[in-house]
Amino acid sequence: MFLRFKIFFLALFILALTACTPSVSEVPSTPVEEIPAASTDLSAIKIYLLAKEGELVTASLTLQDAAARYYSLAEVANFDYAALTTGQHAEVVEIVQDAQAAWRIASPRYEQIEGIVAGVPSLAEYDVILDAGASAEEDPEGATPFDLTLPDGRILPQPGNLFGVLEATLWGTDADFAALDILPDFDGNGVTDFGEAIPDANVLKAAADTFATYVADLQTASNAWQPTEADAFTALVVMIPTMTEYFDSWKNSRFVAGDASTQRDFVAISRLADIQDILGSLEVVYSGVQTLVATVNPIQADQIATDLTNLKTFVADVYAEEQTGKRFSPEEADLLGAEAQNRATALAGQIAQFAAQLNITVEE
Amino acid sequence: MKKLILLSVLLLAGILALPVRAATVSPAQTAETIRAALFDAQMAFSRDGHESAVQLAAAQTAYEDEFAATLASADPQADARIRAGFQTLEMALTVTDAPAFAAARAQVWTALLAGGTAVVEQATLSGDVPLAQTWLSVREYRTATRFSRPSADATLALTDLAAGTLTPEDAHLAVRADLLDTYQARLAQALRDLSAADASHFSVRRAELAALAEGYFAILAPVYEAQRGPDARLAAVNTFAALQTAALAGDDLTPMLAEVDVVLHDFRAAPLSPKEEARRAGQLLRYISLVPIEYGRGVVDGRVTRDFEIQEAITFQEGAQAAFDDLESLLAAQEPAQTQEVATHLTTLAHQLNATLSGTEIATPTEVKTTAEQATMRLEAIMPEAWTAQASTGDFDVITSLLDQLVAAVSTGDYEMAESSRLEAYAIMEVGPEAKLLVFAPQLNLTLEGLFWYGDDQQPGLGALIQARAPLNEIRATRTVLDGHLAEAQKTLSASTAPAAIASNAGVIVFREGLEAVLILASLLSSLRGVENVRLRRPLWVGSLGALLATGVTWLLVRGVLLTFARFGEKLEAVVSLIAIGVLLVITNWFFHKAYWMNWLAQFHARKRTLLNGEAGLWLGLAALGFTSVYREGFETVLFLQALVLEGGIKIVLVGLLVGLLATAVVGWITFRLQVNLPYKKMLIVTGVMIGVVLLVMVGNTVHILQVVGWLPIHTLPWLALPYWTGMWFGLFATWEGIGLQIIAAVFVVGSYYLVEGQKGRRKARTVSPLSPSSPPPHPLAPHDILPGMPKFNSIQEIFDLAPDYFLPENADGVEGSVQFEFSGEGGGAWFLQVNGPQLTVAPGHLSAHDMYASASAQDTLDIANGNLNPMTAYFKGKLNVLGDTSKIFAFQKVFRLPEQLAWLKSIK
Repeated sequence: MFLRFKIFFLALFILALTACTPSVSEVPSTPVEEIPAASTDLSAIKIYLLAKEGELVTASLTLQDAAARYYSLAEVANFDYAALTTGQHAEVVEIVQDAQAAWRIASPRYEQIEGIVAGVPSLAEYDVILDAGASAEEDPEGATPFDLTLPDGRILPQPGNLFGVLEATLWGTDADFAALDILPDFDGNGVTDFGEAIPDANVLKAAADTFATYVADLQTASNAWQPTEADAFTALVVMIPTMTEYFDSWKNSRFVAGDASTQRDFVAISRLADIQDILGSLEVVYSGVQTLVATVNPIQADQIATDLTNLKTFVADVYAEEQTGKRFSPEEADLLGAEAQNRATALAGQIAQFAAQLNITVEE
Repeated sequence: MKKLILLSVLLLAGILALPVRAATVSPAQTAETIRAALFDAQMAFSRDGHESAVQLAAAQTAYEDEFAATLASADPQADARIRAGFQTLEMALTVTDAPAFAAARAQVWTALLAGGTAVVEQATLSGDVPLAQTWLSVREYRTATRFSRPSADATLALTDLAAGTLTPEDAHLAVRADLLDTYQARLAQALRDLSAADASHFSVRRAELAALAEGYFAILAPVYEAQRGPDARLAAVNTFAALQTAALAGDDLTPMLAEVDVVLHDFRAAPLSPKEEARRAGQLLRYISLVPIEYGRGVVDGRVTRDFEIQEAITFQEGAQAAFDDLESLLAAQEPAQTQEVATHLTTLAHQLNATLSGTEIATPTEVKTTAEQATMRLEAIMPEAWTAQASTGDFDVITSLLDQLVAAVSTGDYEMAESSRLEAYAIMEVGPEAKLLVFAPQLNLTLEGLFWYGDDQQPGLGALIQARAPLNEIRATRTVLDGHLAEAQKTLSASTAPAAIASNAGVIVFREGLEAVLILASLLSSLRGVENVRLRRPLWVGSLGALLATGVTWLLVRGVLLTFARFGEKLEAVVSLIAIGVLLVITNWFFHKAYWMNWLAQFHARKRTLLNGEAGLWLGLAALGFTSVYREGFETVLFLQALVLEGGIKIVLVGLLVGLLATAVVGWITFRLQVNLPYKKMLIVTGVMIGVVLLVMVGNTVHILQVVGWLPIHTLPWLALPYWTGMWFGLFATWEGIGLQIIAAVFVVGSYYLVEGQKGRRKARTVSPLSPSSPPPHPLAPHDILPGMPKFNSIQEIFDLAPDYFLPENADGVEGSVQFEFSGEGGGAWFLQVNGPQLTVAPGHLSAHDMYASASAQDTLDIANGNLNPMTAYFKGKLNVLGDTSKIFAFQKVFRLPEQLAWLKSIK
């Protein structure tokens, strides 16, 4: 018994000695494959993504249906929008408002997953197509990859992201997508309010059909996606620090610049709402890897979660003020955007440090 | 009174505990508290002066309570700027000067960053890793963009410093580089934002951003001074101050921003790390080499046939120029004249390309190629070896970057640009890593080539996809697969071995050395059995335990020494691997050269006898004996395992170590506790063969590393197509050097075995000849064929009866030793044989102590004696067991003449 104890003791002793040796294996030239000490459950991210996509698909089909009805109506009127507006006023108002309502449902659903879609390399192209890509006219380098073929045979080359095209069509912020020479009065108040517009039926149908198709494709791609830790960290590091971009959109939108704004997109819903939705999706992503981060530094892991929530709250507070009627000056918007960007950059920087310490590659 | 004392103590404890509680707030949290409070103060500035004052006070309190003492000590200037900033904030609040408030806010924040940087740098240099790590979080990061991610160099450097893999000086260099790079990037961003704010007439933002720029430059100013002198620094500081004054005054900032541009022109604050230097060097050489390739595709017969190829050539020339700019000062410090020549060649190259693009003059492809080659030739002559040796890392980076461009081009529908990026990425692959991959992983190279071009049924290649205008998701799918194989290629070229192979090698070595230690101990303890010898056994065990401790300490010391050379990376690995090969050769010799083994044991036993015969220092002597007998094995193990740790990391080696130790523990348990003899000979043979394999793997991998670092040439074996895994598992790479040296190692080990055995055979033959001149040639397995009619032994007694007849007392002077025999089965019993100088005692029964212990069945013993059973076969099969001081065999050879009937035994090997 004594001998057995001694052997056992010696083995333990040797192991303890070697284990106490600094992690000398990590000589720079011979990288060691690190095995994360804690397992992560990323399935919640996918579940969240698919749930939101389910709602997005439903909204896209509703929008597609409204667009089809509007097209039929316009076709009967031989695409004479003046005649259509006067002759079928009630139907036009109903259908356009149905389509706008469907868009209003679809847009936040997408924003609630944009942090994931845009941040995951295998899904990111859908973000360009649906929400982020510019038109070829605006940015030839970052333009959307598709052309829009209209039912009448016209082709709109790389018209920009589909949410943007649909928004401009439904709210009448682009003369190519809506009959801006017609000034309808949907609510009978005697004036044409913002959002009271007569869409080009060809554009609306083509955009709504294409939109529904890509949304379905996104759902398929998401189903096939197997979330990895690298995906999660990449999404966080890539998407968190995009606050300036969103605040710039907000600053230049009619929510800040008012009627002086010439911005085509982001007119129906304040960009501040979008930012909150995006940050919400990133909270979901972070919750998937927080356990892993905590293996390196549990206090900072919690702090990041808190800071992420605080960033969302910061934006929510600004949004709440906006909802109560406050109109921020462009300089205030710039200052708020800089503050959000500073917080976001700090968060992304910290997360990138943990990714490096965990030997997880943040993809570029 | 007691209550009063108790109360006082509690109060005192409470006061003392205050700093402790305060310390639980991290510097990062405090910094964020200050930053957020100042921001809230500014937001409340115009609408709620009281709220603004409250927030300002909160920021000041946080600074005084948590930071002031540390920053005043680490960076008094930063502390002064912060205090001045707070005063300005108070004043601005009083006079309701929003721009001044915003500027002071930026001043406080950037001074905090400067102070945090100072704390981190000082703590890093002094090796206070926890302090450095804690304060490193008081920093900003580069803003992540589509093509860049925040650097983690400082964080990782501190992790390495904590682990001991970086010296404080090297860690400091990395930390400094990261922070300086970050703040220079933030300075550039602040200036861009300032320009935009100026254009938008944002008075508050202008003031804030100008102050931010001034604050960031204050962090960089010492480096600026080091590079350009104190006068330049003063001028620069004044420029930034003037910029801020102009911003506060509401002046047009355009001229001041232009002045700042001049001040910052060509200024790089962050020193390039050695890795970055090598990466830039790789890019420089690669981009220059690609210029004539692109140009040659675009110009035919003095005409530009493809504009975009010329544009790409210009892109690569500009890339080369940028890389050269980063390295120029370093190169010029060594070779100013040749560096100037390179600069001239690059300028000529730029002129040639631009003239072609503009159509003013079209250089021939040969002229462009000549210019590029001249630049390359000069560069290769003056570049440090470390840069060119690691150039393949740069290759993979460039390939990745080009593939990013490819995907980006496809996403915009620009398939022509995508094809161009693909070709360039492939060209880099072709002229860079491919040469080594052809040698070390030819199949992987084929796979990569397929993915770059046409692919196969399962995975189409990028070339085919681009040609077919495939959608982005299909391009991405192939890109993902390609990335995986590129990573595999990079891993292959960095000389990595399969973790399981490393763990197995470690386990084999530990078990083998452990087995030897067990056998030595068993040998020493065999004559010290019985309760009466407990006092003698104990010091041996204590010594052995001490040896294990010493082995652990040796491990730490050796690691410490190696870590100081860790910066040499693969070169260190190569050197340590060579040492490991030396250790392996010793080990294999120890196995095959039994004589050495015996001599080693004989020395131990001689020392033991001397100790046992002496009175003084017995305990210590035996402890030392136990120590040396085990420590030698431990020392060998430590030396060998270093190579494996460098190659695969400590965790993998620990797994092997654990398995080896457990196996050794099992053998030790059976031997010492259960007192059962194992087939040690077989085990030594098996482990010896395994170590032979380990040796060959180690030789192959070491040659591979030596070739990767450029210390050995590479000559391929084109007719030998080895799969990729043979390299990872067996160190088999199809080069003359690798395979050749592995064969030489094998020949050395096996050949030395036969050489030694041959010498032993001749020695035995010389010994036999006087006794038996007509003795037959050796034939170990059929003695009856050799000596027909030889008389048979019918009992054990008859064998032992012969012993006195063959004893040579004249040779026995000084010889001492005893053997205890145990014969089992019918006709068995216990016998002993004891030599004490000329005195021989042979008798049935037991000795209280003996040097050797032999056991077998009576029948097997008779079969051996009668030549019906090969004693070595019996030994290998475990039929004959011998324990203890086997060196006595050699001593007894001198004092016993072998009976003629057993003379044939001498021929047995």
